[in-house]
Amino acid sequence: MTSTSSSLKPIIEARDVDKHFGAFHALKKVNATFYEGQVTAIIGPSGSGKSTFLRTLNRLETHDTGSIKVDGIELNDDLKNLDAIRREVGMVFQSFNLFSHLSILRNVALAPMRVRKMSKEAAEAKALALLERVGLKNQAEKYPVQLSGGQQQRVAIARALAMDPKVLLFDEPTSALDPEMVNEVLAVMRELAHTGITMLVVTHEMGFAREVADRLIFFDHGTILEDSSPGEFFSNPKHDRAKAFLTQVRHGF
Amino acid sequence: MNWTKQHPGLAMFAAMIGLLLFLWGMAVPLSWAPDPIGQAAQQFAEGTRMTVLLTLISGTAGVVLGVLAGLGKLSSVPPLRWISEFYVWLIRGTPLLLQILFVWLAVPTLLPDSMQISDFACAAIALALNIGAYNAECVRAGILAVPHGQVEAARALGLSPFQTFVDITLPQSMRVALPALANNLASLVKDSSLAYAISVVELTMVGYRVQAESYQPIPVFVTIAVIYLILTTAFTSLTAALESQLDVGRKR
Ligand SMILES: Nc1ncnc2c1ncn2[C@@H]1O[C@H](COP(=O)(O)OP(=O)(O)O)[C@@H](O)[C@H]1O
Ligand SMILES: [Mg+2]
Repeated sequence: MTSTSSSLKPIIEARDVDKHFGAFHALKKVNATFYEGQVTAIIGPSGSGKSTFLRTLNRLETHDTGSIKVDGIELNDDLKNLDAIRREVGMVFQSFNLFSHLSILRNVALAPMRVRKMSKEAAEAKALALLERVGLKNQAEKYPVQLSGGQQQRVAIARALAMDPKVLLFDEPTSALDPEMVNEVLAVMRELAHTGITMLVVTHEMGFAREVADRLIFFDHGTILEDSSPGEFFSNPKHDRAKAFLTQVRHGF
Repeated sequence: MNWTKQHPGLAMFAAMIGLLLFLWGMAVPLSWAPDPIGQAAQQFAEGTRMTVLLTLISGTAGVVLGVLAGLGKLSSVPPLRWISEFYVWLIRGTPLLLQILFVWLAVPTLLPDSMQISDFACAAIALALNIGAYNAECVRAGILAVPHGQVEAARALGLSPFQTFVDITLPQSMRVALPALANNLASLVKDSSLAYAISVVELTMVGYRVQAESYQPIPVFVTIAVIYLILTTAFTSLTAALESQLDVGRKR
């Protein structure tokens, strides 16, 4: 968790990223550069464009104008570029999105086999190692429906890690969980944060943001309103909207 | 039924063996029956095999057509969508007998003389087109039932659209669509009887001939009905077992 200064190699560069849904202006010229190894927490009110921004970074949403580069590769309609970028960027969703017809082991092993053309044996060995890392090796033969929400999200993290991504995007990874399961997922993410992988985490867990993130971005109405360190943001938010948001969060919603 | 659920593999195997034994062994017990059934036992057996062959060929082609048309209906490419919708609309809005007659009488006039097709092929084509249109609806519903988040997860992992379809969407949509597809297949066993209209010697045609020679329609048609019942029951148990086999992931 050494801070931004240790290595300043940019891994994601978003320039003037603009996005509409019909007439609705979801992202308004968003600019941000993310550096290798950095853990960024993205917070902000619901509907402010956090998910949309994250999803443009691996092109689950296309952006209208502006440019996004991942590890120097331009994200555009070129499918070669898209393939290359999706290999480097993993994603963890709020609703886990595990493949319900596949065993836990197959969920994790599938992408290395299909995308990296790994042998079944190698992919499954790797999947088992990753499951062990998230504490679920003994669940490998089960199916997603047999696991708790917290366990499913840990599998989803292992699944994303199986592609050896340089960047992991988390879209509210604990928001769909019962409170008693939030910590087991945060623990895995905390451990990951120390491994040097780049993480962008949209979250409502202010404790996690404050403790684990190197950087904090506050989104509002499709723009980045504040971009600072968690310490600075929590003790001294600059914009009224950010202050109001923090007040609201502190009173627990 | 519980037994088939617990041992789907065994149940499928048993239904398959049962069907094969029935198809190639039925002439023996039938030949013990009093006339007019006994003397026509061989004919009944051949007609039954023809019916099953027709069902399996057009049923298989119909699943492929159903997947293509079901996908077409969901395609983001307008012409593909129009073609699929037109196909389903046309087939579901016209009688099957008319479709069979059309393929038999009209298609040969469109083909060059060197490319004429057999009566059996005409029946198989018409039946495949017919069941394909009904399957398309089931496949479409099945695909729509696959949570979009899983497709996104697969794409985010780097799987291509085709890999995503084969590994994620298709198996899950088939699990949803299978009961309806199985239903269609069971109807196909019966619908194939309309091939008698273009002189394919399947089970119903055999019955028609045997009763015409013997003037004894009742025992003949009862025999035919029992054979159809055995066939539809075998097909239904086969697909029920297949369904349980695919039902992993829902097990608790
Ligand atoms: N696929 C979509 N179609 C139309 N509107 C959308 C779509 N996705 C998101 N939006 C809208 O864009 C805005 C931003 O959404 P989102 O990025 O999900 O916000 P957040 O993640 O910050 O809560 C919301 O008003 C939402 O209704
Ligand atoms: Mg969101």
